[in-house]
Amino acid sequence: MSTLVIPLQGLTIIICLGVLLHLQFGRTGIVNFGVVGFSGIGMYTTGILVVNYAIPFGLALLIATAVTGLVAFLLGLLILNLDNEAVMVATLAFSTVVFYLVTTEDWLTEGVVGLGTVPRPFEVGDNATSQLAFLLVLVALAGALLLYAARLQHVPYGRLLFSIQDNETLSRSLGKPTFRHKLVLFTVTCAAMGAIGSLDASVNQFLVPRLLTADLTFVVWIALVLGGRKRVWGAVLGALLTVGLFDIVIEQYVDVPREFAQQLPNVQLMLFGLTLMLVILFRPQGLLGERRRKPQEAPQVENRKKVEA
Amino acid sequence: MTGATSATRTAGTPAGGQKTLHLHDVHKHYGGRTVVDIADLVLGAHGIEGLIGPNGAGKTTLMKLITHVVSPDRGRIEYHSPGGTVVLTQHSPDAIARMGVVKTNQVIQDFESLTIRDSLLLSLAGAQQERFWKVRRDKGFLRRANEEIDEYLDLFHFQDPDGRAGSAGEKKLLDILRCLLLKPRYLLMDEPTAGLPQEETDKVMQVMRAKTRETDLSILIIEHDLDLIWETCEYVHFMAEGEILLQGTPSDVRSNATVAEKYLGASHA
Repeated sequence: MSTLVIPLQGLTIIICLGVLLHLQFGRTGIVNFGVVGFSGIGMYTTGILVVNYAIPFGLALLIATAVTGLVAFLLGLLILNLDNEAVMVATLAFSTVVFYLVTTEDWLTEGVVGLGTVPRPFEVGDNATSQLAFLLVLVALAGALLLYAARLQHVPYGRLLFSIQDNETLSRSLGKPTFRHKLVLFTVTCAAMGAIGSLDASVNQFLVPRLLTADLTFVVWIALVLGGRKRVWGAVLGALLTVGLFDIVIEQYVDVPREFAQQLPNVQLMLFGLTLMLVILFRPQGLLGERRRKPQEAPQVENRKKVEA
Repeated sequence: MTGATSATRTAGTPAGGQKTLHLHDVHKHYGGRTVVDIADLVLGAHGIEGLIGPNGAGKTTLMKLITHVVSPDRGRIEYHSPGGTVVLTQHSPDAIARMGVVKTNQVIQDFESLTIRDSLLLSLAGAQQERFWKVRRDKGFLRRANEEIDEYLDLFHFQDPDGRAGSAGEKKLLDILRCLLLKPRYLLMDEPTAGLPQEETDKVMQVMRAKTRETDLSILIIEHDLDLIWETCEYVHFMAEGEILLQGTPSDVRSNATVAEKYLGASHA
């Protein structure tokens, strides 16, 4: 069981990032290809503050979230009124900049030597119990994000975000300040990515620039697109089928021959890429498909009318 | 041909919710081609006004200039209302919509992720409801909004109001209803009947006439169905080659030789 806890922590982190990407891309249509840039800023800010300056984890988490939010706000101000393609390239470029800054500015980040050790935010009992408790905290966080995304199905803000994705010009013509809404959403969700990255620092404990390569962005994207980008549970399903299958099922339970085991990470990324292509070709809305309308909604409205009449 | 400016009417007495749009020296060209070239124009002095003219006259561009979806090369567009005077060319399209100057679309526009009812709810929700932390069901808003929506849904038939708009006609109608739910004070309708079945067109125009009588709504309609223009409008602006060539009551414009030559002649010959 205990060998499962750490991979499960990683999986939960992916799910959290996936749900946040669902809010950005699946709901609002912001093509954020720099997920790892934002979680990376959160991760390294936390690492630097905790390791180099001995700041308590909780405070470091708050600072990391705020810093990521501020960076996202400034970036969003520059790019969010551009075309989708431009947003994609800009965010990807941004995350690359973050990666290289972390690699080269070794006076601050220790560069490729690595920064560590980042402790857990809290300790309860022995090591195993603490790990388990931390996993539960992450799961609760993922649950909260999912709950938020699910609530958006039923409230004006969710409809507004869909309208921006579908037809921003039309949405503006109905009086919606779409740029401001996109900027707020982008800032808040990227700040949340920073917070997730901050907790991820504690999952990884030892921070190296390799954690900030675009691989993480692609993994989150594949999970979301495979599961269904417009569906609340899309990221969860996608993450289970990709990261869950590889990092947990195969890694833990399948006896892979040793000479092949070394190739597994590469094979994994190739398979992810292939999966992405197949999904885009054959089921662009993902496994869960389009959002279904709830058949009970219509009668409810009818009932309400009758009651009032 | 220089009669355009002299035809400009005074705004009348801006009393009792009177709203007018004043266009001063408004120019727009794409490449070397002048699309809109208006020296002076007052719109909205009557409840329902028509804007007619041949294809490519610049009618749609004129409406887009008013809602600032398109920026003019030069000139000022002022919106006079009891609340004061606003220069529309200094505001964003969404701010203009919030002031009550709203345009329906000629080309079909829709939100593919939203059902008909969701789409109408979107229109009714304001900045108050649309905040990222507001994720609790707002029963009061839903009740009021659904009442308002049901009023329209009783009048206009959709195959399935809780599904997506299917036909082009439904999407066109939805576009108009979305705009009406914004409770505009000045509504620009760009070919509202194109794509709508005749009976729906009749119902839409009935509602429009009622709204202009009962509320302080003023309407400007672009339409190629001239019978509708002569029947519905109190005042007609005739536009060709980017300029307003003639203004007057429907019967004046109808009997005018210039219109016959430039427009009626061209299409009815």
